[in-house]
Amino acid sequence: MKRWKRLLPWVSAWLLAPLCLAAEMGSVVRQAELKQKPFFDAPKVTDLAASAVVEVVSRQGAWIQVKTKDGQVGWMKMLNLRTGSGDVKAGSTTSGVLAGLSLFKTGSSGTTATTGVRGLSEEDLKNAQPNPAELAKLEGYGTTADDAAKFAKAGKLVPQKDLAYLPKPSSSGDNKPDDKSH
Amino acid sequence: MKRLITLLLLCGLPLMTNAFDLGIISKGIDAVKKGAEANRDIPESEEVQIGAGVTSNILGTTKLVDNPELQRYVNHVGTWLASQTERPGLKWHFGVIDTDTVNAFSMPGGYVLITRGLFSQLHSEAELAGVLGHEISHVVQKHHLRAIQKAAGREALGQLAQLAADQNGTQGGQNVAKVVKGGTELYAHGLDKEDEFEADRLGVVVAARGGYNPYGLVAVLQTLGAINPNDASLKLLFDTHPTPSDRLDRLSAAMGDKLDDLGNKVDDVPRFDKLKH
Repeated sequence: MKRWKRLLPWVSAWLLAPLCLAAEMGSVVRQAELKQKPFFDAPKVTDLAASAVVEVVSRQGAWIQVKTKDGQVGWMKMLNLRTGSGDVKAGSTTSGVLAGLSLFKTGSSGTTATTGVRGLSEEDLKNAQPNPAELAKLEGYGTTADDAAKFAKAGKLVPQKDLAYLPKPSSSGDNKPDDKSH
Repeated sequence: MKRLITLLLLCGLPLMTNAFDLGIISKGIDAVKKGAEANRDIPESEEVQIGAGVTSNILGTTKLVDNPELQRYVNHVGTWLASQTERPGLKWHFGVIDTDTVNAFSMPGGYVLITRGLFSQLHSEAELAGVLGHEISHVVQKHHLRAIQKAAGREALGQLAQLAADQNGTQGGQNVAKVVKGGTELYAHGLDKEDEFEADRLGVVVAARGGYNPYGLVAVLQTLGAINPNDASLKLLFDTHPTPSDRLDRLSAAMGDKLDDLGNKVDDVPRFDKLKH
């Protein structure tokens, strides 16, 4: 029994593993330099062609670390990468680029782990009945702005009080971010 | 003013029936009344009642995760972010609901629910802040309230007695109850796409105002984009939202490098990882 308890974290880790292990693949929106470090003035590793397929390694600030097909690792601006597959609609930046990737077709991707699990559906919402007890529970977990401020301080969060909202871009398309790496 | 016109019309109705065709009059009343309902400013107390009702319904389909520490944590992050917005005075409530489905919901009046399925996809507190920032922005902009109000103005809310009931308040509850059912269904259909794009655009700023790396939401959208879109856990989200790719295109156009200086702000806090495991 004791041993079983010790194994439990491993068993649950194994159950969750497929979701975590699946490689996040993406395609480069526009030609860009792959940088050695997450800075504009960092040395170049290589040039990334538009539509190049890369694997996500990690993220930092506005940057994403990726691995190319040739195994080169470096940093690019996060907003210059789109992940995805067949869900991408015509006209969108990554249209079709990743649709041919075998990732989602072979079923080898662990991200399909929850397929078939019955979750919250449209029908559920249409037939929903109130649960006042659960609502009361939710309201019981509420906190105050003062407590939340203490929590923020403990996390070393420094508020940026007057940061303005971003205006709606004039065109609905994908304006080129001001990428100084070009 | 519109309410006054409606009441005058209502009071005058018995006198006028002799002079006018009844059908035309009632059509006119309908139009005035529905216009009034669709345009009136819903008082905050009523907004909170509607939000609580819809939240109760969603909790009727899916209960909260039984983990008080997690629930309090999400309330701390959410309330902190909400206090950076234009509606700090609302009583905000945040909860994690127990389903594999990947989604998050915000209801009028300051109620926000995120699913366990979405929470488990997050890598950092900044990513949680991005998701909550998006949901909080829906409430700040009253996206759902307006959509509910619009639908109600077209349909059920047009009962003759209701405008008067709104004024004395005693039947306000019944009024709200009628709205709640339709309001819950809204979450099966989704908002206008532009509302979603706007919530993304505002959400990254809300997270940044709270001191987080504004790229948390960008990272989450990339993670969601990488999941097999046929995965059942994403069906509701993808049926009710633009694709992650479209949302990233719009965010890219709005953000450019405007918020890059804030990229060195807080990405993660050890307390997030403790809760995830």
